[in-house]
Amino acid sequence: MQDRDLTTKELAGLESTTELMEQTWAPCRYACPVHADVRGYVELISQGRWREAIDLIRDRLPFASVCGRICHHPCETNCRRGDVDEPVAIREVKRFVSELQGAAGATVFKAASQDKAQVAIVGSGPAGMSAALELARLGYRPTVFEKFPVAGGIPATAIPRYRLPREVLQQDVDWICAHGVTVRTSVEIGRDKTIADLKADGFEAVLIAAGLADSRMLDIKGADHDRVYPAVKFLTSLAFDEPVEIGQAVLIIGGGDVAMDAARTALRMGARSVVAMCLENEEEMPALKWEQQEALEEGVSFIHRRGPVEIVVEGGAIKSVKARKVLRVFDEEKRFNPTYDDSDTIDVECDTVIMAIGQKADYGFAESGDLRFDERGRLVFNQATHQTSESGVFACGEIITPPGSVVEACASGRRAALAVDMHLSNREIVIDDALPPEIDEIPADIADKVPQVARCVVKAQPPDRRIKNFDEIDYNLSADEAMRESRRCLLCGGGAEVLVDKCVACLTCLRICPFDVPRVTDVARIESQLCQACGMCIGECPNNAIVARGWDVGDLAARTKATLAALQADKKIIAFVCGHHASQSAWSAKPGDTIDGLGEVYLPSMSRLSAAEILHVFESGAAGVLVIACEDGTDRYPKTTQRIARRVAQAQEMLAEIGVSADLLKLVNCANQGRDTLRRALAEGAEAIRAC
Amino acid sequence: MIVAERKPMEEIVEMLAPYKKVLVLGCGGCVAVCLTGGERQAEMLASQLRILARRQDRQASFTEDCITRQCEREFFDDLNENVEDFDAVLSLACGAGVQYMSEVFPSVPILPAMNTTFLGSNVAPGKWDEYCRGCGDCVLAWTGGICPITKCSKSLINGTCGGTNNGKCEVNDEMDCGWLLIYKRLKELGRLDEYRKLRPARDHRKDRGGGVRRLILSEMTEEEEEAAQ
Repeated sequence: MQDRDLTTKELAGLESTTELMEQTWAPCRYACPVHADVRGYVELISQGRWREAIDLIRDRLPFASVCGRICHHPCETNCRRGDVDEPVAIREVKRFVSELQGAAGATVFKAASQDKAQVAIVGSGPAGMSAALELARLGYRPTVFEKFPVAGGIPATAIPRYRLPREVLQQDVDWICAHGVTVRTSVEIGRDKTIADLKADGFEAVLIAAGLADSRMLDIKGADHDRVYPAVKFLTSLAFDEPVEIGQAVLIIGGGDVAMDAARTALRMGARSVVAMCLENEEEMPALKWEQQEALEEGVSFIHRRGPVEIVVEGGAIKSVKARKVLRVFDEEKRFNPTYDDSDTIDVECDTVIMAIGQKADYGFAESGDLRFDERGRLVFNQATHQTSESGVFACGEIITPPGSVVEACASGRRAALAVDMHLSNREIVIDDALPPEIDEIPADIADKVPQVARCVVKAQPPDRRIKNFDEIDYNLSADEAMRESRRCLLCGGGAEVLVDKCVACLTCLRICPFDVPRVTDVARIESQLCQACGMCIGECPNNAIVARGWDVGDLAARTKATLAALQADKKIIAFVCGHHASQSAWSAKPGDTIDGLGEVYLPSMSRLSAAEILHVFESGAAGVLVIACEDGTDRYPKTTQRIARRVAQAQEMLAEIGVSADLLKLVNCANQGRDTLRRALAEGAEAIRAC
Repeated sequence: MIVAERKPMEEIVEMLAPYKKVLVLGCGGCVAVCLTGGERQAEMLASQLRILARRQDRQASFTEDCITRQCEREFFDDLNENVEDFDAVLSLACGAGVQYMSEVFPSVPILPAMNTTFLGSNVAPGKWDEYCRGCGDCVLAWTGGICPITKCSKSLINGTCGGTNNGKCEVNDEMDCGWLLIYKRLKELGRLDEYRKLRPARDHRKDRGGGVRRLILSEMTEEEEEAAQ
């Protein structure tokens, strides 16, 4: 799609070129239900800027740590890196930074004052808590009522610990509460208090976020046996360490994620045989593909295209489940409408049955209230405004949306909070759901030019060891791995933007672009969907007619100046270091590492460093400059080594012209050779310059 | 397009010696396209001059700016700086720009940072070759698209001089003989009949011999319109 033209005048009206990133969204951000600035935080992680990264994540996603473990990551599914090799492991790098920082390491953006109305929220799941956070930030006083003794909703009660350890969830809950959110556990609305009570207590609005707390059950013969468990109840009992008895041969009915959770939990409880039976075939199964895979590895067997008709009980014990053949699950209109062949039945031997065929709401909170329900028994609500039939009572999350994930619940909760705010401010509830357009796909001829880098491998416990306990099944990335993985990001949409009134169509950008992206017609045209954001053209443009969307071109000069100013020495030296292989550095030397009088300025790639910027460093008073680039072939972008060599040579010539020795500007190609080599090169380079 | 090269630094330093407050002015025309005089080059030159001034302990200020073209009056309105505030302007424009700016701002010395060299083409990235001398009487139709004024050291117009040595020019043996190139091209084109035609002596008034040349497009001029009113 056509990008808009940018002129010098328009640029002057922007506070930062990064505002241009709002014109089109990268697919990760677009697909994310809360529209977190994924590209933004992945870039921050790539630079070791952990605090800024987690703050950016939490700006939209209160359940950062939980999602780092269990999110279904539509961002990754849509990641354009997938057209080059494999998507960026966004969930894994998010997990790394959210767990590294914990609740204490993420900034709490508390409202200046919390003196607006009290709002009651029913349910402390992701929807309710996200709404509470948003309301607290807006200055309200939210109190979340939770019927269980622990806050967190399904993540606390029905997600097994091997997928989501309790401490991880607690990070998110603690961080949210630190914003002035009160959580009252073991209070069940509908039983301990009614909605009317809440209103009488002074809550000016009530937000129902009760979720889908119950399992749907099949009304078949034998379903009332003791050893037939609703899946959610099964998982919840275990979550609270209540004893649950299962036999040796467990049959799970269902093909979704809850079924997978139940199956894998049964294995860990010691069942010898665990079978999951569902109506769908392998492709149709609603469970996430990697959950199916992990279940298979751990020893869960699958029976596809079967529907239970009877739980056969003999002598007081479950003997088997009779199941009929499923001919088809979805009809022509893709609706769930299974058809069966009753003449084709099998008997699946088992002694325990867990029903995981779907969840339903527990409407207990509606006890003695004015809430209305439709002819199918579902809560009546307004999709656009989150309002129920009762004045001042709103709803959000799975209780009104289709069953979804944690991140989808966060989005719903936040939206409902905005509705509540508008209502309590006596404004009409109108929420703008419009999004900027999504950036287009990356064409094959550009994708082919991007150097391939293998996706990080997440180390997991071997399946046979995993099932022995409820310990987490895979390990966090290390800092180095997280940085390396984040550097695979293509920075979609963050690349070059031509100032159409300054471009002289000299063809330079076209000639030096390693990806053959610019087209020069009237002026250079660089499409944001194609540009790989290497910055090489910006470093060359003879009329300063190209800026970057994803970063402020003047930032580097400002950062360098500040670094220089902070140095205390007779001969100050600046080292520009390619950060593409930098490990665990926060884009500057660690204390104890510093070389006297040497300031280090890290860049994502040397493609961004221009000859002009090198001159400016000398102009600002540096006695010498080191440029530490990568060896050829190890750059983030192709041809960077050659380009920076030429720029350094050009700068050396220009310095020589004014009597500054070329020895005061040195290029060393060792940025990819590890920390020790780098530190040595910096020390030696500084010494050599001082000796001049 | 016009190709210009930056003058040697010693010359620039010499011409700037009397001035303390200098505007370094880039041009977004031909010199930007041949990567020698655009805004970036003005920025870098100003940077060099500041470094030099500091090294020489000289009090001098250098401010950079750039406009679309220096050969047209209206573009001077876009200057971020006020020219009269400066002791001198170091212009990176071609000779036309420098002179024209001098006329627009007669009270301020406009100094040339560039040597304007030739009319040429970008034959390869980073490489520009001379193609045209601006002789005002183009004969490319008869010479297979190769200019004898430019490519022949003697600017002959009726074939080789007899000093061709193995296809090279006797004046500059690194140069191909222009007329040999023309002969070969006309042969390729099957137009050797043009080579045989005798061309009359050139009217040098169309070239430098006529003094300062001028182009007038009467449909665009303003004086006549005023006169007509």
